[in-house]
Amino acid sequence: MPLFYELPPNLPAEKFIAKLGQKLDLDVLSRQYSLKTYYDSFDWRLFRKGLVFEYARAKHESHWLLKALASGQLLASSACQDAPGLIRDFPPGKLRGQLESVLEMRALLAVCTIDYEAYSIALLNKDEKTVLRLKLEAYDLFNTRLSLLPIKGYDKALENFCRLAEESFALTPGFRPVMLDIIEQQGRKPKDYSSKLTVQLAPDMRADVACKYLYSSLLNTIKVNEQGVIADLDSEFLHDFRVAVRRTRAGLSQLKGVLPEEVSARFGEFFAWLGQISGPTRDLDMYLVNFENHKRSLPVAIRSDLEPLYAFIAAKKQKTHDELVKKLKSPQYLSTLSAWENFLKAPADKIASEPNARLTIKELADHRIWKVYNAVLKEADHIHSGSSAAALHRLRKTCKKLRYLMEFFQSLYPEQPVRELLKSLKEFQDILGSFQDCEVQEQTLKLFSEEMMAAHIQANTFLAMGVLIQVVDSRKSKARQAFAEKFAEFKQPKYRKLFEALFAKSLEQL
Amino acid sequence: MDPQGASSFYFRIKPKVKGGGKDLIAGKQDLDDLIKGTDFDNLDLLPADFSFRNLDLLLDDKKKPTAQLKKRLKPLADEYDWIFLDCPPNISLLSEAVFSAADALVSPIIPTTLSLRTLAQLKDFLDQRGSKQPQLLPFFSMADRRKKLHLEIMHTLTLEHPELLATVIPYASDIERMGVERKPLPAYAPKSALSKAYLALWQEILSRIG
Repeated sequence: MPLFYELPPNLPAEKFIAKLGQKLDLDVLSRQYSLKTYYDSFDWRLFRKGLVFEYARAKHESHWLLKALASGQLLASSACQDAPGLIRDFPPGKLRGQLESVLEMRALLAVCTIDYEAYSIALLNKDEKTVLRLKLEAYDLFNTRLSLLPIKGYDKALENFCRLAEESFALTPGFRPVMLDIIEQQGRKPKDYSSKLTVQLAPDMRADVACKYLYSSLLNTIKVNEQGVIADLDSEFLHDFRVAVRRTRAGLSQLKGVLPEEVSARFGEFFAWLGQISGPTRDLDMYLVNFENHKRSLPVAIRSDLEPLYAFIAAKKQKTHDELVKKLKSPQYLSTLSAWENFLKAPADKIASEPNARLTIKELADHRIWKVYNAVLKEADHIHSGSSAAALHRLRKTCKKLRYLMEFFQSLYPEQPVRELLKSLKEFQDILGSFQDCEVQEQTLKLFSEEMMAAHIQANTFLAMGVLIQVVDSRKSKARQAFAEKFAEFKQPKYRKLFEALFAKSLEQL
Repeated sequence: MDPQGASSFYFRIKPKVKGGGKDLIAGKQDLDDLIKGTDFDNLDLLPADFSFRNLDLLLDDKKKPTAQLKKRLKPLADEYDWIFLDCPPNISLLSEAVFSAADALVSPIIPTTLSLRTLAQLKDFLDQRGSKQPQLLPFFSMADRRKKLHLEIMHTLTLEHPELLATVIPYASDIERMGVERKPLPAYAPKSALSKAYLALWQEILSRIG
């Protein structure tokens, strides 16, 4: 049986109730002014998983409600006082569990708010027993929503009502959260932000035009994340901001001879600076986000001893974040970013002056990807069990360059093989990333302990940190041992042939 | 459990169960399918049926008669936090089945000489069950503090039976209106002393059963 209906625009709630009252015994239990705010993460994680999360407020009660987007089914709810924020602030329970698994480290942000009149109605039988409850939500600008709340053991009443709704009132069953109407009216669409790079390029585009297009998309990501970084809403704003910065920087250094040299030099330096000033906050964010995992890697008896480390890192992060914010509000940042935007907005010269700008983007992409791929193989071939951490780090950076180039230009190639190659590259990168992360963690934990000594932290915390360093060190060794195997997988002939087939074609033309 | 269906009447639910007590005890009907929602959130009711007057006989026909009720109730454990069994005030096979199924036995005691005997009998009977007995939680109900006898009995009994709950439900005419209003007391007299006494009783029961 359907449980949701939408009333047509010419049938206001009051009129519907009056007409219904002529056909059925009913009792209007309450009518109250209410407010509803929809929440999701910045990147629409709930919506993408088919969920909607509401914060419904009336005079005497407020509720958090998690519903299925397609069916409207209530999955979890909780009475509450406060607007939601970070998941770790929610009381433990079903609702938190469900949200946590989808949102991870992302904060809940208000998507839109709307006010409405909420009617609660009971349909009665001849004993004046409630056999079905109705909830009407009457909005000023959108159709009234009708929800049916069946009473256990009174299925017949539900069936009869549905028949009446559809036959006498011509109501159409279906659930459509009013959020969709609101954001549509605002000219927005759900899922209007994703951290993934989804630029569509045409193979015969001039290289400089295509690159400007690409950089504009990355600039947009930088700009939309900027306020979230400044407000420190959650760790992922800074993450996405930094990825866009790094991608831009990699583009400027990897696609030389496309933009005028002085432009590449000036902005290359700017984005390097941006990467550098945002690094410390990101490193500390990583510790905070992964803190529970770090804790779980220790023996149960000493886990709580690690807590002072969290407080220490949180305080340190606050400081570095304050410094970052100062820089993001500085004239240097604002004017350079705006200069970059102006440059990207300006139309490209009719006749490209830079040597590589005249190539088609496909030619340039083939050439660069093939070259960097071979550089990865060459560097990786030189890695052996005694190689320094710095050598592994250099290789990781080259892999990142390759990854970024492939992501920039994936729309120029058949989807399936590029996705397969990206997957194999990602797996190889993961092992290098894991090694590098452990290397950095070991060093910073040692540095933290020196600083914490001065703050007279209890001895047990240092003991727990010592154990954590051991855990990290053993992870690092495992990553190093796994290197050869992962590299062998990455360079296997199957992938090599695929790389060659996709990217080596225009080699001789250049 | 009450064939006269007082609770069903108060909640305006038809006192009829498909298949009657026979199918219920035989397990032919899923208990969950027979339950009806009341007009109050999170409160459902298994209606009474006139055939429940024969529950003792029906149980007697089964193997392990006193284990039957527990077995029928078990599937409901996931859905409900609390299951209340409204039992007739006697000690019968059905009562024994209730004792087997319940974690706690909340027993109203009217402060009269007769009730004093009943409480003693009930305790003796439960003691025979050894460790398998529900926690006994007797409380005074319909107590009239103007009556000397009530006060005396309450005083004596409290000394003899430390398990008696401290909350006393006073005699009040509000409770009799339930038949007219056909809803639970707090729904028509939420601020009455009696409603408050029942709330205090529930809090005390919660604290006792932990």
